[in-house]
Amino acid sequence: MIQLIEITKVYNQGRPNELWALRGIDLSLEANRIAVIQGPSGSGKTSLLSIIGCLSRPTSGRVLLHGKLLSGLPERFLTQVRRHTFGFIFQQFHLIRGIRLVENLMLPAYPLGPDYAGLKAKARGLLERFGLAGKEDSPVEWLSGGERQRAAICRALINDPEILIADEPTANLDSRLTAEFMGLVADLKAEGKTLILSSHDPRVAQHQAVDRVIRMGDGLLVED
Amino acid sequence: MFFNPAILALVGVNALVSGLLLLAAGFALQVLRYWDLASGSERQLRLERRTYLISTILGLLLVAESLSLWLFVHTAESLHSQFVGAMCATGVLNQNPWGWPTLFLKLGVFAAGALWLVLNWLDQQGYDYPLVRVKYAWLLPILPLVLVEGWSQLEFFLALDPEVITSCCGALFSSQSQGLAAEVAGLEPRTSLVALVVSGGLVMVLAGVVARRGRGALWLAAVAAVALILALIALVSSLAVYIYEHPQHHCPFCLLKSQYHFIGYALYLPLLVGAVAALAAGLVSLWRQIPSLEAAVASAIRRFARLAWLGFGLFYGLAILIIVRSHLSLLE
Repeated sequence: MIQLIEITKVYNQGRPNELWALRGIDLSLEANRIAVIQGPSGSGKTSLLSIIGCLSRPTSGRVLLHGKLLSGLPERFLTQVRRHTFGFIFQQFHLIRGIRLVENLMLPAYPLGPDYAGLKAKARGLLERFGLAGKEDSPVEWLSGGERQRAAICRALINDPEILIADEPTANLDSRLTAEFMGLVADLKAEGKTLILSSHDPRVAQHQAVDRVIRMGDGLLVED
Repeated sequence: MFFNPAILALVGVNALVSGLLLLAAGFALQVLRYWDLASGSERQLRLERRTYLISTILGLLLVAESLSLWLFVHTAESLHSQFVGAMCATGVLNQNPWGWPTLFLKLGVFAAGALWLVLNWLDQQGYDYPLVRVKYAWLLPILPLVLVEGWSQLEFFLALDPEVITSCCGALFSSQSQGLAAEVAGLEPRTSLVALVVSGGLVMVLAGVVARRGRGALWLAAVAAVALILALIALVSSLAVYIYEHPQHHCPFCLLKSQYHFIGYALYLPLLVGAVAALAAGLVSLWRQIPSLEAAVASAIRRFARLAWLGFGLFYGLAILIIVRSHLSLLE
């Protein structure tokens, strides 16, 4: 489904603070699987996820999606693919303070110009499904940690993406909330979604729903 | 004279465009030599990233360079009062040997730049950079054109001398003179008007058909090129005479004066836009076979044909209005 060919990522290239985040990664990820990328800080997990999710471009190498070139697409086409194919859950959730929960969910869909009433109904449906019914008009700063995490999942699902990418999604959660999160991830896999997670957390990698654990170190794959 | 704001703006725009085109030409050579979308090499990815920046800057600069054609004509027109014998831009362009070549070079840059902008736009409609080599190859002949135009323009402005008595449109566009301008001015109004009506009717019908069916864009481009030439001939030979209401006044530049309500701009602008749009329709139709451009080309042909129809329509509509409202009658 996703194929990475000799991906390198260099920050500040040619400067004294040059940093090689990825050093020639070759990787294939299958559809409808949960893959967890593990590794210490600075091993290149976030760089890899951002390249897979089209949030950044590699310094060299290619990314293919369903056999078609993804990383070389002109920006306007890449943006379309990103909006329709990927949903993102960030470590700090990045919910926007000061606006209501339902509006946070709807934001990623606005550039696609859907029918407003239909979009709002979809956002409400997601909130209900993830146990946030009744919170839709609350500002996000009123939500608890677990609620914020579920809200972030709802937002990632608003465009019905094929692939969900989560960067350290359980970093700030206790065991109960981590287990709850992994349960939701397993449900999404059962619905046909593909999930790519990066995590330090052994509770994530050891979860029964996880199909594949990829270990990274110093920008290289060390174990698969 | 050189420190006239409009002259400084024209020289400045050309210097800027020339400098950046020189840099872009180096990039264009790299694209022509190394572009390989199948490769994931660092150089290929660097070319992909840079092409956005360079084509965006070039797009803006070529728009500025195209607009400078109008500023040049306006400046030549506005300077006429400073030269003995000059009544309009014609007299200023006659001041030294660089005037007319500069105007024709600017027209060439306008057309070449407009077509590059169309190519660039079309290339950006495809997901696989389908015309990247073509558009950068097209950039290479534009560079010497802009450099020569800038040099000619600079020579023209530096050589302007208020002490030199110049001849104006009365001498150049007169049936008693020699040369192409005189021949066009001396053409029978009936001949030029019949040619205008026939070519106008053809181009309007063709533009309408292409706008509706999306086919025949190359025919439209060819007919529009002929219609443009015939329109310019009719402008000098007969339309100008109707506007001035004077049977011997054929100047295509006096139309730009305030005393004729700047009607020249209202005639030239839609005519040139219409012609460029028709040429663009023909140009883009050449790439309808490229899979990633199929839909974009189909819609672009219709869009450009509509614009051509509008541009030519405005020109012909205004031409009819001029003839109808004129107090002069050339045809029995």
